[in-house]
Amino acid sequence: MQVVVFEDAKFDNLYPLTYMRPTFMLKCGHTMLYEKIVRKFKGTKVSYIVRDMIAAFMKEKMGADVINNANQIKSEDTLFINGAVLLTAGTKIELNGGEEIATAANGDVIYARALKGTLAKAYDADITKMMSNLKAALKKVPSEAYIVEWPWNLVQKNPSAIEDDFKIIGKGGVIEGKLHPMAAILGDKKNVYIAKGADIHPFVCLDVTAGPIIIDEDVTVFPFTRIEGPNAVGKKTQLFGTNLRTGSAIGPVCRVGGEVEDAIIHGHSNKYHDGFLGHAYLCEWVNLGAMTTNSDLKNDYGPVSLYVKGELMDTGDGKVGSFIGDHTKTSIGTLLNTGTMVGMMSNVVGNGGVAPKYIPSFSWMMNDKFFKAQKSMETAKYAMGRRKCTMGAEEEKYILALKDMMKEDVKYWVRKTTVI
Amino acid sequence: MDITAVEAKVKEVVVKQLKVSADKVVPTAEFVKDLGADSFASIELVAAFEVAFDIEMEEDSALSVKTVGDATKFIKQACDKQGK
Repeated sequence: MQVVVFEDAKFDNLYPLTYMRPTFMLKCGHTMLYEKIVRKFKGTKVSYIVRDMIAAFMKEKMGADVINNANQIKSEDTLFINGAVLLTAGTKIELNGGEEIATAANGDVIYARALKGTLAKAYDADITKMMSNLKAALKKVPSEAYIVEWPWNLVQKNPSAIEDDFKIIGKGGVIEGKLHPMAAILGDKKNVYIAKGADIHPFVCLDVTAGPIIIDEDVTVFPFTRIEGPNAVGKKTQLFGTNLRTGSAIGPVCRVGGEVEDAIIHGHSNKYHDGFLGHAYLCEWVNLGAMTTNSDLKNDYGPVSLYVKGELMDTGDGKVGSFIGDHTKTSIGTLLNTGTMVGMMSNVVGNGGVAPKYIPSFSWMMNDKFFKAQKSMETAKYAMGRRKCTMGAEEEKYILALKDMMKEDVKYWVRKTTVI
Repeated sequence: MDITAVEAKVKEVVVKQLKVSADKVVPTAEFVKDLGADSFASIELVAAFEVAFDIEMEEDSALSVKTVGDATKFIKQACDKQGK
């Protein structure tokens, strides 16, 4: 039996977070969604099905043999798992068992277990058609597994996902790195894991009274940082006097300061300076300028709306911050409204007022006007080079294709805000 | 659109965007040196030209244009290519 993690057709509900990654590479807790699947089925061959547009980029990133490999998929009995499923300690998906297909209440496929013979008849390169074929062929069972449908779901589930990751890692109370004698653990030490190479400086407080803290390899926590569990700090991240409040998952390789609460920050993104980030999601290579602050609560405490696929959508949640796509930068003093969607490769320049709730990808926002992004590719490559990373040829091609795909959106907003 | 019409419209947009008097907007005038366009104003000017002429311009090339005369030629070429 092999495992095939697939991206279903709803990946665009999760834009801008899924512009540069398949759904299963979204982060929730200390790990990405697919890492939880790989971990659960350790030792089993895992491959992936992604949308056509991102396939070449993902082959470059993960290896051609594990992405959209039809021959591999058809070669064995297979457990298909929807890449938007958030595996928790209680999720019931077993590798072995009879042929069946499990669906959520809304009809989304959670998983399907199919023998090679069934798969030979049901296989289709179009994942929606293949799942439809499998629905027709297999016994249907209900499933309580959680599917991430909207960007804010990741933030909502982040604290419990960190707690799950902490339990599964199973190193509660283990201190492999350096914990300075003048750093304090508030609460039960069994709720802390400090991995090798991590360095916790004096005057750091690790408060685990409300949840566990994971500090991964080679993390440096500088003085006057307070971390409140549940919290997960990824490899090689640096915290600079950060007030890291409950429910955040950061890194790897991030530099974070200021106040952060219930935020997910992908690798290589920086929020080095003061300013508040709450109930937010930052993709890779984002940089927030000093004093960038996002609101995550309206003054009337009402539910927050934000833009999804061009429409303002009610999240039903009163605590929603900003969602920021890959390679986007904000200037000093940028103020982001409650429930703001910022696309990828954008540049947001604060002018003392609150920025619009939607900022398109590949745009610059200055003085409440939008402009086409300038030198965004050069900036992205330069930023990656600073961390000794390089942009792959397929990655660059894919980004240019995305830019082309989104040019009408940018044009619309430029023309809407340009007065002549 | 003929070159005279492009020239007149370029002048109109520059006067409005950069808030300079029309007599300063001559073909040899440089946007930065003579008309006081900083980097932000230059980006605004490119956007204003695109809207005014209903054309698309390649950002980096457009921003590298230094004088009013060169901008007129650049925009005329873009108009011709894009059938405006």
